[in-house]
Amino acid sequence: MSDNKHELIVEFENDLQTVKDTAALENIRVKYLGKKGKVTEQLKNMKDLSPEERKTFGSVINKVKLEIQSKIDDLKSNLERKEQDEALRKDTIDTSLPGTFAELGTFHPVTLIAQRISELFIKLGYFITDGPEIEEEYYNFEALNVPAHHPARDMQDTFYLENGRLLRTQTSPMQIRVMETIKPPIKMITFGKVYRVDNDITHSPMFHQMEGLAVDKNVSMSDLKGTLGVFVKEIFGKIPYRFRASYFPFTEPSAEVDIQCIFCKGKGCNVCSNSGWIEILGCGMVNPKVFESVNYEPGKYTGLAFGLGIERIAMLAYGINDIRLLYNSDIRFLKQLQ
Amino acid sequence: MKILLSWLKDYIDIDETPEKIAEALTMAGLEVEEIIEPGKNLQNIVVGKILSKDPHPNADKLTVCKVDINKGEPLQIVCGASNMKAGDKVPVATIGTKMPDGFMIAPAKIRSVESYGMMCSKKELGLAEDHSGLYILPEDSKVGEEIAKTLQLNEVIFDINITPDRGDALSHLGVARDLSAIFNLPLKRDTLGDASGEGNILDEVKIEIQNNELCPRYSARLIKDVQVGESPEWLKHRLTQVGLRPLNNIVDITNYIMYDIGHPMHAFDFDKISGNKIIVKAAKEGEKFTTLDGIERTLSNSMIVIADEQKTLALGGVMGGLESSVTEETKTVLLEGACFNEVAVRKTAKALSLPSDSSARFERGVNIDNTVISLNEAVKLMKSFCKCTPVQGIADAYNMPVPLRQIRVSVKNVNRLIGINLSAERIETYLLRLKLEISKDEDGLIVSVPPYRHDLQQEADIIEEVARIYGYDNIPETLPEIRTTVVPQEKDALLADKIKNYLVSCGFHETITYSFIPEKTPDCFLSKRPIAIKNALSEEMKLMRTNLVPSMFEAIKRNMLNDEKNLKFFEVGKAYLPSDSNQITEPLRLCIGLAGAKNHLNWKDSKSEYDFHDLKGLIENIGAICGVKFWITGGETASMYHPSKQAEIRAGKHVVGTFGVIHPSLITNKKVSKNILIAEIDLTAISKENPAKIKIKEISEFPSVDRDLAITVPDNIEHKDILKTLKADAGNLLETCDLFDVYSGKGIEPGHKSLAYSLRFRDKTKTLTDEAINPIMERIIKSLEQKYQAKLR
Repeated sequence: MSDNKHELIVEFENDLQTVKDTAALENIRVKYLGKKGKVTEQLKNMKDLSPEERKTFGSVINKVKLEIQSKIDDLKSNLERKEQDEALRKDTIDTSLPGTFAELGTFHPVTLIAQRISELFIKLGYFITDGPEIEEEYYNFEALNVPAHHPARDMQDTFYLENGRLLRTQTSPMQIRVMETIKPPIKMITFGKVYRVDNDITHSPMFHQMEGLAVDKNVSMSDLKGTLGVFVKEIFGKIPYRFRASYFPFTEPSAEVDIQCIFCKGKGCNVCSNSGWIEILGCGMVNPKVFESVNYEPGKYTGLAFGLGIERIAMLAYGINDIRLLYNSDIRFLKQLQ
Repeated sequence: MKILLSWLKDYIDIDETPEKIAEALTMAGLEVEEIIEPGKNLQNIVVGKILSKDPHPNADKLTVCKVDINKGEPLQIVCGASNMKAGDKVPVATIGTKMPDGFMIAPAKIRSVESYGMMCSKKELGLAEDHSGLYILPEDSKVGEEIAKTLQLNEVIFDINITPDRGDALSHLGVARDLSAIFNLPLKRDTLGDASGEGNILDEVKIEIQNNELCPRYSARLIKDVQVGESPEWLKHRLTQVGLRPLNNIVDITNYIMYDIGHPMHAFDFDKISGNKIIVKAAKEGEKFTTLDGIERTLSNSMIVIADEQKTLALGGVMGGLESSVTEETKTVLLEGACFNEVAVRKTAKALSLPSDSSARFERGVNIDNTVISLNEAVKLMKSFCKCTPVQGIADAYNMPVPLRQIRVSVKNVNRLIGINLSAERIETYLLRLKLEISKDEDGLIVSVPPYRHDLQQEADIIEEVARIYGYDNIPETLPEIRTTVVPQEKDALLADKIKNYLVSCGFHETITYSFIPEKTPDCFLSKRPIAIKNALSEEMKLMRTNLVPSMFEAIKRNMLNDEKNLKFFEVGKAYLPSDSNQITEPLRLCIGLAGAKNHLNWKDSKSEYDFHDLKGLIENIGAICGVKFWITGGETASMYHPSKQAEIRAGKHVVGTFGVIHPSLITNKKVSKNILIAEIDLTAISKENPAKIKIKEISEFPSVDRDLAITVPDNIEHKDILKTLKADAGNLLETCDLFDVYSGKGIEPGHKSLAYSLRFRDKTKTLTDEAINPIMERIIKSLEQKYQAKLR
């Protein structure tokens, strides 16, 4: 008898070998487990057996039923997965067609650079403020230790307005405006448009500057150097830079920061006039005469200040060789900033 | 300014490479912009002597020469030039030479004659544009010598950008002084010339300064029996290399002294001066005077003139006069060494557009002691190479001696400002290297400033000197330990940042355009009379814009002319508005430009032109981003917009912006679409409005009843009126009412439009039934029929 049950399994397994799809499997299921199936028949036959035999036989045939059921289930889920897979594989699209969701726009390169710089300084605890572009001569020059008829005025050719004011040539007037309003400690950055009488492929009559000012009782040149070192790393990555003596009327000592020429890696090329270095910003320690202009107690405070042209950095960062591209709203240029 | 290494070596024995010297100067604030080495590209080019010149057997225009270069057998060279003859000395590029243009000289066969080198023109040497023939060298040139040596081209020239504070460095002596301090090398100086001579100048020349402010010191020397002629080669060479044109020995000497020790001088033909009195005074207002360059100029009373008792001789510190200038006939020379007021010289040079080497130095301040020294040095030079008889002594008017400037420097302040820790001794050493005199007391150092360092005025200036010599490179890097003061950012700028992010997400490109607009901007774009720029670059950049719209309009037009089809731009910038009281406000504005085809080049979505309602939706979202409720109402006030396709944007009680379709009459080019949409919103105004408060309503648990309502109405009936009526009749069971279709055309009576609304009703306390809603719908329909001739569809 045990042979008989065994035979059923053997037969089932032989049948199973031939199954290729779920339909065939269903036929096999009906053949063994259906109402008239071989296993079902066997179960029906039990009623003719003695209670003892029924017990033994029942347990054996139930095992066979469970085994067959389980094998059918396994195979069924396998086949279903396979069939679904095949069906999905036939349901094709051209994935290489362009995406159709609304395209992204772009930020202007000046905004991109200004955002990166202001984010850095805000992290360093600076506050950001804004001021007028139409300025008084006093804020743009006198208060910054540039008296009338001083040769330093040649450094910045100025637009004068018919109402007696001028277009600021630098963001530095904001140093005065902020220090007139609040007392140290101050850590301020400001960003905005400035204007100079100049127009060629590297100079625009309107451009943008970012200015920084930190004033307290013991701010030093080493703080200035460290701060700008962080700035260079943030914007240009790990690149050699140098901090060299220079002159600005509103800082003393004054310095300029050069980075190694990113085009020739310092070997010397046209862009860097063969020097291997590119100037990126001017800076220094706030001139005591500027503190005098804002009526700070002499000798009480020291401060660091720096100013940089955003366009210049944008041009370096994105390889833009004509500054006028930045202002003519050409979508073919702007789209490249995505 | 050009500085020659060989000239520097008159003052300092320095063996460093040109690169090292340039770097050191640059780091110390004398920025070397370029190192020029004219002889660097001429290696292996030597002096050759042409021994013979024969015709080329196979070419009419070529010759075959034998050239001796004092090295082995003479070279056979085929040459295309014809201006040479046997016996001439010419530059010869030998085999293996790399020419300045990169060409390599190799043995060649030219029309089957062998050639072993090249004889060169000035152009081929990169010395001049002259390509008319070979460069025929002076007869005494040494055969075989490197041409760079023969032509004295083995020079290193530093082109230095001297900052406006460092007038003292506008000379070879000045630069050498800094080098001596940086490299800690002694500064050499020859014995200075003296005032010896024959007779006594005081018997022949009197100097009268009428205004000591304008001229603190005026010194002069007289030199007789002068023979004006050419300067010696070495002097001409130095002047040429620094960029000056040699003129004659007298003028050349004054220029030489200026580049040597930094003092501008002037030479007069003494015989052209009437009487014996030199008067320094202010010019007469409106006075006419012809300068050295032959141009007649009109002077003003802020200018300094040098005059005799009858006439003006020179513009003090700026330029001499034509009449009294030194010429070949000059026999007696009066040399001037003076010190003029910085501001007066600058104003004069500016007013007459006459910036000169001389004015540049006076503007920055010269060494008042050098008036005399420069005269004696000039006479010393003159005696060394031209026939002349100096008159003994100096006529010197020095009525306002400049007091010695002393600056107190504390060691603590030096270290506090630089962020280092130097001892008093180290600081003293650095300052001594700069030739500053130091005395000490219990409070620190007292620095006596030499008369040439006009930039040293206060303690911070001395600290910069310490830092320069200590080396900016050696300063450590730290971050300031400053408490943070919280100052909130301007609210309009914060709004701008948020809006920029939104618009970029929506596919807009940010532009930045000039704040200037053309003088001929149409009136419709000008909200106020714009502020004009006095010295504008052009008429196109004459006015400060009062809004951003004309710039945006231009940007869109320009792109359309480039065949761009889908234009979505925005700009955030200021408008410049004058007010009656000469006050100016600079509100921050957002300008949006929208034009062309929506979904242009999108292969799936349907294409259509941007229209008024696209922009309106965008503006409503911007209101939400600003946290302010915008009320948008149609208007007809802005003449730059289409009269019936424009609207005003209100926030609170204020108009904060407008938008619309640009008036078609402003578009004349056929390539430019007539459908350009522009909006301008005043962010500064919005930032002053109170933000709309958000209050969350309870969400009902009961189901809604949805009804659609489609009606036709005459075209002139507006959605906003229908909505108002509908809401009033629906009562508070109406939860939402959305317009989901607008249609006119086929199936709709002409002059009418179909509007379809989706209404959702809900009760907070119970489930609504059709029985509750039906009477409401009837009421609504009845009202719409009565008020707007609406018909149900």
